[in-house]
Amino acid sequence: MDEITRRGSLALGAGALATAGLIGARPAGAAIPVADVPAPKQPIEAGATLRVIRPTKFVDPDETIWNANTEKFTKATGVPVRVDFVGWEDLRPQVAVAARTGAGPDVVVGWANDPHLYSDKILDMTELATYLGKKYGGWGALPQKYGKKFGSDTWIALPMGCGGGALVWRKSWVNEAGYSTVPDDLGKFLDLCQKLKKNGHPPGFALGNAVGDGNGTATWLLWAHGGYQVDDKGQVAINRKETIAALKYGAELYKTFIPGTLSWLDPSNNKAYIAEEISLTQNGVSIYFVAKNDPKTAHVAADTEHSRMPGSLNGKAPEAANTLNAMVFKHTKFPNAAKEYLRFMMEAEQYDPWLTKCLGYWAHPLLAFDQSDCWKSDPKIIAYRDAQKMQFWDGYKGPINAAAAAVSSEYVLVQMFAGVASGQQTPEDGVKEAERRLRRIYKS
Amino acid sequence: MSDTTATTIGATTEPEGPQLLSWDSRARRVVTIYVPLACFLVILLFPFYWMGITTFKPNSELLNYKDNNPFWISSPTLDNIRKLLFETDYPRWLTTTMAVAFASTALSLVSSVLAAYAIQRLRFRGSNYVGLAIYIAYLVPPSILFIPLAQVVFQLGLFDTPFALILTYPTFLIPFCTWLLIGYFKSIPYELEECALIDGASRLQILRRITLPLAVPGLISAGIFAFTLSWNEFIYALAFISSTEKKTVPVAILTELVQGDVYHWGSLMAGALLGSLPVAIFYSFFVEYYVSSLTGAVKE
Repeated sequence: MDEITRRGSLALGAGALATAGLIGARPAGAAIPVADVPAPKQPIEAGATLRVIRPTKFVDPDETIWNANTEKFTKATGVPVRVDFVGWEDLRPQVAVAARTGAGPDVVVGWANDPHLYSDKILDMTELATYLGKKYGGWGALPQKYGKKFGSDTWIALPMGCGGGALVWRKSWVNEAGYSTVPDDLGKFLDLCQKLKKNGHPPGFALGNAVGDGNGTATWLLWAHGGYQVDDKGQVAINRKETIAALKYGAELYKTFIPGTLSWLDPSNNKAYIAEEISLTQNGVSIYFVAKNDPKTAHVAADTEHSRMPGSLNGKAPEAANTLNAMVFKHTKFPNAAKEYLRFMMEAEQYDPWLTKCLGYWAHPLLAFDQSDCWKSDPKIIAYRDAQKMQFWDGYKGPINAAAAAVSSEYVLVQMFAGVASGQQTPEDGVKEAERRLRRIYKS
Repeated sequence: MSDTTATTIGATTEPEGPQLLSWDSRARRVVTIYVPLACFLVILLFPFYWMGITTFKPNSELLNYKDNNPFWISSPTLDNIRKLLFETDYPRWLTTTMAVAFASTALSLVSSVLAAYAIQRLRFRGSNYVGLAIYIAYLVPPSILFIPLAQVVFQLGLFDTPFALILTYPTFLIPFCTWLLIGYFKSIPYELEECALIDGASRLQILRRITLPLAVPGLISAGIFAFTLSWNEFIYALAFISSTEKKTVPVAILTELVQGDVYHWGSLMAGALLGSLPVAIFYSFFVEYYVSSLTGAVKE
């Protein structure tokens, strides 16, 4: 029979107190270095109410903590806020309706290039972004790119989180192939993949029409070889020797993949990795999170490591990040309340718990949050911490605009790589076809 | 000669079964009827089977086909259904979807009956062109219409209410039902109406007492199609409804059960399975009318 000892009861008491937050509690966000900067004056309009839409949760805390923070805002300001969560792929039609009709949500937490499509219909955010940047150690390179109107210093959006696409790999299998870690050199990386395949643990990268993973694979291969779809003036620049080299490398790499990657969609690599069918892929932290939280797959998580995608150019990892980009429509009756809401959500007291409980899926855009406890809780997710430091973006090197978004949504680059990898096209034909499509999209 | 042979074969080989003709045989029947029928059944029912087994599979079985048979369940679970019914607003989504589908179908049928009757029977000048124009309206894709319609919905103050859907679904249901009913009305002998006209019936009386009772299979057929189209509609439901609890099943299950690149396949399939049941039940009640409307109407 269990006995309650004095030591045991003391431990129980301490545990209960700690649980209740009475001892050992540290204010959320206390570790975040903060500069003393006065908040912008945004007097909230009388009778203000807000409607917010944002992409649906990735994990439950994403929604619960967001809602809890929203309730705190309502308590502090008296402004009722309704938040609606929309499917990731379904957000864009709703934003299009709001922009076209001039009605609907006041605040939209959309995707990276959404604000750039509606830059004439949304409010200037320069003052708020400057304040947050000064207070929290500055903005990362990628949020600056997505937050500012292209080629200017005017902020049109407030980046709230960056979902990185790091390399996810099985440590034991990579070690078995003779490598202690995944090499950055592309030649060695190909050698590693060939050895993994030989050992019966092939890699797998999506080459199907997958919004995130397919475009991620294609842009990684292109950028890692120094290629880009358009130059900085928006002129199509795909037909270059770097693209041909990328296509040839992609075709060699494809030979090491598990069969079926040409039809892979976004969930496919998650499934294959957790089922232990592949040893290596590119993804957000979701694979690790799901594996870690299921006792039957916890051993997969324990053997998983994350690192930057190989093939860095002058120290720049060839990755972009899926960025949450908040904007306020001009049609809102309560612009100050809307901006205040965004400011409140970005302050460390609210932002840090959200960041931490989401396991860093939406990595912080403000550099001071590098010090967040989130990144100390699990060393395996450190690779996602630096998502905001990436220096590539959708449509690199050109402007972030509707054409850049169309290239992703029409899978021009993905289909170019898939066509060559599958042997349907030569690299030269693949590039020509992609160039034709890009010229149509960019109208150049 | 052939009749005699057929009778002989029928009498000797299958005394209790149906009589076979001379060109017929058991092997021939198997090849020409039962094998294609079996293939057809497998192709049609496999998605439902897949939905069914995925609904009751735990995640570990769903993800690992090396150690588990993909076509069977080793350790069934109700977790996916529990998650769907008790951790989401699924019952409410189902009620909303049903209410919207019934209301928009009823509205569309009433309008379509009047339109189809007018075009087919009143034969006013240009009626043929009006019929054609209505059909062409059906061909305009909703992905083009949803933004202009959104403006109308906002101006009428219907955004984020079920009426936004009940009143916009008829934009594609009415053309479809009208086109279907024009064809059906055409097959009803005009002489019946002429008799009624001679007896002094008005046009509305003819429609109510003569034409509509004869057109029941056509109405049911149009109703079933309209109900199914409303039930499955996606883009308007996505654009005109923003509150999670007011969404319809096709939109809501995607919003709630697809989280980034993590798909809750078990609950998604449970949602699809439960969502398809009302439509299947609806079909099963009216399948005979539905078939008769496709195979021909009133014989002259």
